[in-house]
Amino acid sequence: MSEGVIHDIGYRGYDGPREGTGALARSLYVTGLRHVFGLGRSGRSKVLPFLLVGLSVLPAVIIVGVVTMIKLSALPLSYAAYTSQVQMLVSLFAAAQAPVLFSRDLRHRSIVLYLARPLSASVFALTRWASLATAIFAFTLLPTVILYVGGLLAGLDTGEQTPDFLKAVALQVLLAIVLAGITGVISSVALRRGFAVVASIVVVIVVVGVVLIIQGIADYEDISGVGEAVGLLSPWTIHNGLGEAWGAGANPITTIGGAWPIAYIVTPLLVTAACLALLVRRFAKVGSR
Amino acid sequence: MTGPIAQRVIETSALTKHFGDVQALTGLDISVGDGVTGLVGANGAGKSTLIKILLGLLEPSSGTAQVLGFDIEHESAQIRQLVGYMPEHDCLPPDVSASDFIVHMGRMSGLPATVARERAADVLRHVGLDEERYRQMGGYSTGMKQRAKLAQALVHDPRLVFLDEPTNGLDPAARVDMLQLVQRIGRDFGIAVLVTSHLLGELERVSDHVIVLDGGHLLRSSATADFLHHTGGLLVEVLGGDAERDQLGERLALAGLTCRPRGQLVVIDPPPAHLAVLDLVRDTAADLGLGLVRMQPAQTHLEDVFLEGPGGEPSV
Repeated sequence: MSEGVIHDIGYRGYDGPREGTGALARSLYVTGLRHVFGLGRSGRSKVLPFLLVGLSVLPAVIIVGVVTMIKLSALPLSYAAYTSQVQMLVSLFAAAQAPVLFSRDLRHRSIVLYLARPLSASVFALTRWASLATAIFAFTLLPTVILYVGGLLAGLDTGEQTPDFLKAVALQVLLAIVLAGITGVISSVALRRGFAVVASIVVVIVVVGVVLIIQGIADYEDISGVGEAVGLLSPWTIHNGLGEAWGAGANPITTIGGAWPIAYIVTPLLVTAACLALLVRRFAKVGSR
Repeated sequence: MTGPIAQRVIETSALTKHFGDVQALTGLDISVGDGVTGLVGANGAGKSTLIKILLGLLEPSSGTAQVLGFDIEHESAQIRQLVGYMPEHDCLPPDVSASDFIVHMGRMSGLPATVARERAADVLRHVGLDEERYRQMGGYSTGMKQRAKLAQALVHDPRLVFLDEPTNGLDPAARVDMLQLVQRIGRDFGIAVLVTSHLLGELERVSDHVIVLDGGHLLRSSATADFLHHTGGLLVEVLGGDAERDQLGERLALAGLTCRPRGQLVVIDPPPAHLAVLDLVRDTAADLGLGLVRMQPAQTHLEDVFLEGPGGEPSV
């Protein structure tokens, strides 16, 4: 082939190796993760995710600045409490970006193109969920890392900070898998993005408000058991309750003790498993239509 | 044709599918070889259902099928690796470019990253989406969307593609382009094609073999040449308009031929064996001072299959 001349060399086949399920799922996972943040999509679709990332990181940057300048001996709030403080942003991020992974393919029917390829409906659904869970986790992790690294650079004690940091990260993993499951199921059913976002906001943001009110009343009336049980209804009261129980400091209304911390771990895991089962069923059904 | 080596691309045996009381496919036995095979039937004849069953997206109620030698029930993952599918309906996300999407679809069929990029560029060029491929697909015309849909079905170099109504919604010129492309895929690319249409006329030009479905039943399956056998009649075209056409027809009728007008043509029914009909037409046209454009043997059309019903002979 000489350079500078365009030859129509006709159709070329491909006889090389083809990748297996694992590699396919990994590729789908990475693409999904990029799409949550609007990467590889239109310029407009990058605005919201990055705006939310910016807003959730900004307080952390300011806190690090303050700690550095006035030489505080501790962070003004714990890592878990920080995540809890920006919970509105985290919930919005999950609610707004879940439809990117779970409504788009169904609404535009591109799901059929995926299901006509080697990956099965269940692997597809689980990979989509993994992308969203990772994105939510990264969203909460970023400001936490800024606080941690910034704090250490400002001279805070590593031995004191690291356990709290690791506990906060573990809580974020739990939070991310539940939020991804719940918002994923909602988005796979409510295909119009607006409906999906509103429904997710109701479930993730409004429910926590109701739970907090009930916990407040239970606390004021000093009724034991009610606040703890109601706290299981929202990922956020689970996050905060567990954070306090682990000594990671998340300032919940109802502090949990006894066997409650176990329930606070098992419940989100069960909810996630149920969401995954629903997602797999939904995608398999849609593919056959 | 069915030899021990020349494996059939698709083979079904008593394939049946019902949705509740609705019988979508009934005891279907078909056999598809290489080249372009047209799957013809009215809307609801079971074309899309058949393709979805062959892809493993739907389970048949009973019966078996093999695609590329793989069983649809147990080996559908292998089938889906080697088969391309262009659905009938819209299936493109609007907010990504064709280029990115086709690369992604290639990856989803198991191509390594660099190969997927190369092949996506190649295939987009073959389907005729060159300059537009970096634009988001939401702004595409129907014709461009159909091309992008075709590209995703070809990107992984499948051995067989299912094209479900590829000419749907296209204007006449784009329809011709698409059909030429379908023909190239079967003949030049060496990929077996199963193409559906509810328009019989389109498929007779591009397919080597035609399968006709009607209400989930197999109406007929044979080589396109068999459908288009010669009737023994003749088509004649002369320069000018209707007046010239009728002038020729009337004179030929006087000479003892049975003639009818069809569009710009004069159709001559099979003449008596002793008559040198070509010479007669030539001389008649010369006598009348008409410019003879063409004379060609008349053929039956695929439409006649529906008129004749199963098993019958074309009535012309």
